[in-house]
Amino acid sequence: MENTLTPLLNAANQIILGKDRQIRLAVCCLIAKGHLLIEDIPGVGKTTLSHTLARLFGLDYQRIQFTSDILPADIIGSSVFDAERHEFRFHHGPIFNQMILADEINRSTPKAQSALLEAMEEEQVTVEGQTYPLPKPFFVIATQNPSHQIGTFPLPESQLDRFLMRIELGYPNREAERALLLGKQRHKIIAELPVMLTPEQLDELQQAVTEVYVSPALLDYLQNIIDFSRQSDEFAAGLSPRGGLALLTASKAWALMEQRNAVIPEDVQAVLPAVAGHRLKAGSTDAASIVAPILENVPVV
Amino acid sequence: MNSWIPQKSLIFMLIALGLITLPHSQHLPLPLFLFFGLLWSWRFIAIWKPEWLPGKTTVFLLMLTAIGLLYSQHQGILGRAGGTSLFVIALGLKLLEIRGTRDIYLIVFLGFIVAATEFLYQQSIIMAVYIVLVCIVLLATLITINGLHAKIRPTLKKAGIIVLQAIPIAAIIFVLFPRIEAPRFKWLEAEKNQITGLSDTLEPGAISELGLSPELVFRVKFEGDIPPPAERYWRGPVFSYTDGKRWRESPNRFFKRYMDTPRFKGKAYHYTLLMEPQNKPWVFALEMPARFEAPLQRNGFYQLTTTKDPAQRAEYNITSYTQFNTGYLTKTELKDTLQLPGKPSERIVKLVKQLGGFDLKPEQFIANLFNYFRQEKFFYTLMPKKMEDNPIETFLFDRRYGFCSHYATAFVYLMRIADIPARVIGGYQGGEFNEAGNFLEVRQANAHAWTEVWLQGKGWTRFDPTTAIAPERVEQTLDIEQQIATRTLTIVPPEILHQSMDWLKRAKQILGSVDYSWQRWIINYNRASQQGIFKHLGIEDLKSIIYWLLVLVGTATLIMARFILKHKAQPVDPAVKLYHQFCQKIPDITRKPGETPYSFAARCRQAYPKHAETIDRITQLFVKIRYYPNSPKEMLEYLKKQVDHFSCT
Amino acid sequence: MNETVLSLKQRFALSRFMRGEKPANGALTLNQRRIFILPTRQGGGFIVLIILLLLIALTYNNNLIYLLAFMLASVFFITILHTYQSLAGLVVKPLQTQAAFTGEKAGFSFSIQNPSDQERFDIQLKLETETLLDIPPHHHEKVLLFKSTKKRGKLQAGTLTVSSCYPLGLFRAWSPLRFKMEALVYPAPATVFSVFPESEGFEGENGQSKKGGDDFYGLQSYQPGDPIRQIHWKSYAKGQGLFSKHYGGNAVADLWLDYNQTPGHDVEQRLSHLCRWIIEAEKIGLHYGLILPNKKIPCNHGPSHQHACLEALALF
Repeated sequence: MENTLTPLLNAANQIILGKDRQIRLAVCCLIAKGHLLIEDIPGVGKTTLSHTLARLFGLDYQRIQFTSDILPADIIGSSVFDAERHEFRFHHGPIFNQMILADEINRSTPKAQSALLEAMEEEQVTVEGQTYPLPKPFFVIATQNPSHQIGTFPLPESQLDRFLMRIELGYPNREAERALLLGKQRHKIIAELPVMLTPEQLDELQQAVTEVYVSPALLDYLQNIIDFSRQSDEFAAGLSPRGGLALLTASKAWALMEQRNAVIPEDVQAVLPAVAGHRLKAGSTDAASIVAPILENVPVV
Repeated sequence: MNSWIPQKSLIFMLIALGLITLPHSQHLPLPLFLFFGLLWSWRFIAIWKPEWLPGKTTVFLLMLTAIGLLYSQHQGILGRAGGTSLFVIALGLKLLEIRGTRDIYLIVFLGFIVAATEFLYQQSIIMAVYIVLVCIVLLATLITINGLHAKIRPTLKKAGIIVLQAIPIAAIIFVLFPRIEAPRFKWLEAEKNQITGLSDTLEPGAISELGLSPELVFRVKFEGDIPPPAERYWRGPVFSYTDGKRWRESPNRFFKRYMDTPRFKGKAYHYTLLMEPQNKPWVFALEMPARFEAPLQRNGFYQLTTTKDPAQRAEYNITSYTQFNTGYLTKTELKDTLQLPGKPSERIVKLVKQLGGFDLKPEQFIANLFNYFRQEKFFYTLMPKKMEDNPIETFLFDRRYGFCSHYATAFVYLMRIADIPARVIGGYQGGEFNEAGNFLEVRQANAHAWTEVWLQGKGWTRFDPTTAIAPERVEQTLDIEQQIATRTLTIVPPEILHQSMDWLKRAKQILGSVDYSWQRWIINYNRASQQGIFKHLGIEDLKSIIYWLLVLVGTATLIMARFILKHKAQPVDPAVKLYHQFCQKIPDITRKPGETPYSFAARCRQAYPKHAETIDRITQLFVKIRYYPNSPKEMLEYLKKQVDHFSCT
Repeated sequence: MNETVLSLKQRFALSRFMRGEKPANGALTLNQRRIFILPTRQGGGFIVLIILLLLIALTYNNNLIYLLAFMLASVFFITILHTYQSLAGLVVKPLQTQAAFTGEKAGFSFSIQNPSDQERFDIQLKLETETLLDIPPHHHEKVLLFKSTKKRGKLQAGTLTVSSCYPLGLFRAWSPLRFKMEALVYPAPATVFSVFPESEGFEGENGQSKKGGDDFYGLQSYQPGDPIRQIHWKSYAKGQGLFSKHYGGNAVADLWLDYNQTPGHDVEQRLSHLCRWIIEAEKIGLHYGLILPNKKIPCNHGPSHQHACLEALALF
């Protein structure tokens, strides 16, 4: 496992400079079979990150730029009349790819957003009574502009729950910025990137995540976190059962990435901001400060 | 209170009521019981078919029917049977009119009263346990009303726990609650039950088969030693008068001797006699009773009788001596004990003469007679043929098969011909020793008849002619069950009696002992026994009774409260305990609650670089034990060692 | 938990049993200080039953009936403990309040937590409305209770009574709790809707905002009468039907709701009108601001803005 993921992470770190933690979280999210939401201002490398991951994992990649006039059919495809054969033929939309980058998802209307999110949830698309399965694996990396920007439809909380993690990238530090300014153009490097992981290896990794051991003691800790989030005054609503499950899966994936076959509280704490932040406070992007009271108050031992 | 009643409550209630009234089927008049059964089933079906419940008119008609039934069966509602019927019927009628939870409460309360009336008929330990169990179901009914969503098992469990916790307190109140002997009202008197027992006449010739019953007659608990089996003669009625066939008590039994106390010697036996309900006021004391208390009396034949109602179970403290001398003979006694129905036949006179009845000393004559029984072909049987005419002669010369009464009557008859005062004594002989409870159990099958002969200088002396023919009958323990089954005299072989008591027998003895304690301490607990306990505790007046009651009930409640209200401590992982010890051993650094073991270790390493290695090792061990699968036991021991030896100084 | 020691006089003050102690700030744990127990009517009936059984036992001199009576008496004692236990240890915490318009019911929500291993059955919580709930072990439930409002301003939660008759209904344990908890009561909105006041740059006659301008607002199904240039031809070409593009945005002018320009005879009437306006303005998505003699809230829209405006009215 070290052999498979370490070079991959190293390669990704060559492209996106100084964002080691975010890259790890993104990879963790993928091997936990979750979808990822990146929230940040334009230009910090959201697209680059997703594109890099798609290359390294060797997945079909499609970017969908969400705009205010995008329609559900623009995402999932539509039946088009074939004049020669005198029948309707389903025209597959961009969603039929293994990795989707849904760029600036909050620029579109809720209608278009829900088309994507429904597909994410059900792993299939139904058009005019016909069901079309989505490819496997299927990942969505959605990016979102901070909601205070004008002309946006922020995802409602119920939809946010469908993303396993939300991360923000932030500005690069001075060193990384300098390297960025000096280096080659990113998209050229990406195009040259080798595929680091075969589909079988990815499948194995995803299988290995489910087999990571979770001790009763750790479940106690996890449940205490969930209970705390539900009872604390800080949050309007606590973690949902789906949220709790997400936290467990993400922790297991993190443990696997740390080359452990059992989850320890460190893993939970590592993924907690990314997993719980958007579930507890949709409006704020400062995940660390959202979960700070949990990390501080819920006893580990 | 809402008017909606959960179905579960109704089912619980009806089952409880069904169980409560079931034992009443034995003593309630059948029409009344069937009437209740009808009302009960009606209500049960109506749980699912509420539209079948009767209207106001129907209920009124049912009520009239009930009154009619009650009147026709009892002519009143006073007394035990009438009262019981009234409560049962009222309960049945109320079942059809449940409008709210208040009615459920009323019915449950009525149910408790009906359960109590059960004890007016039967007071066995089994009935008591049964009623307690039914009470649990009744209380569970109340729980279903107040905890609508509680499941069935937890509900029953809760009710069971409440009852279990109540029993110790109930026991304290039971002992200390001041008892008043209430005046007995005639209309409250219970109907007499059929009780078997010894008859006041003896007619061996009329019996072709001895009635053998394992029914308990009395139990004896000795303080100290128990008399050997051969001395266990429990004295009952004395038969002096005979018409040749039937033997009766002398009408002179109230004629008291003026020197009525025998001279006792030898060993004194102190014992408590617990008599089962009897139909005659006879109390079977060990021969010969010396000291006893009221309400016991001794008549002219040294038989103890009670002035209390023999149908009530009663306990007596008696002291007896097996060696005694009754002294001289009164004239009435002499007349009574030489009485003969007519002129004896020549055959018999010849026999008496042959055995030296007219020339030898009485002791010698008796010895000869015993030898005669032994040497001639006399047999002991429980199934003799009937000897209607002249039974004694038939027995002595023709049939020669008989049981104790045959031998005793024949013996006395022969004595009287020889002009020696003699009489037949009825009672019980032997008794089975209950090792579990350390007491003797005497049953109907232990019934026996023996004789008494007045000897100069010795007074009335016991002779048991049965011992001449079947000595084992007296010297060893009867196997009553076996005897009933085979209809032959069966004795428990002595080696079996002491060595290998089989489990069945042991279980029986334990049950018998439990029942004895139950009868003695619960059923028979009364003002007198209470006074004894009060004396023991130094309680003299009502004030101190109340004081003791409050103190003891208060203490019991407090203990109970601790029991009920204590919080179950979460089991602590020993590894966590050790880890906490370790954390405390590091000076100046306190672990924050949300800090993971590794980040804490990192802080410690920085502060104490010298111990970095140990800190890491302990942290890793702890994490492995707590969060990894199947950590071996040795790991924990190793961690303990590490933590014990760890020190930052 | 800040448990102050009670003086003897305070301990036996009647108000403690009915109204509760002085309002607490945070969570309250039900303990022997706050739980009171008295027999219910059924409990009284039970005593009568016991006396009756004792009389039967006495007349018949029957020890087993005595024993039954004593057992029921002990059950009666023991039930006190069990009833106490059904409340003991529960932790009640005040949560949010729901504001209401005068005359409607304000909501107070509480969380009630059962930290023990035993399930609690039929716990009744009563404010003005009441609710009955079971709490499984190590669980907590949220309850929302209502209280009717009579005048605008702040409404104190008052006494929350937690009670239970479990297990046998012979006793009722109750605990009166008071929290520092208040709900906002807005003025009642005027029943008659009067036209929005005129203010700078706003020409609404009947509250309709003008759609138009440059900002794309979204696609809507084509309605007859929509301008042809707004039809979204791209989707029509794909065979998805007719849609027209709608624009909105900067054409919406700011609406200023000024207390001094509000019709009405007295303060309450004016506040009622303002209240109605705020609701209506929010409903149709206007940017509105509020000017009160003592406060000015700049123009904005959204639920939190509406709440801020209504709060200003409530506390005026």
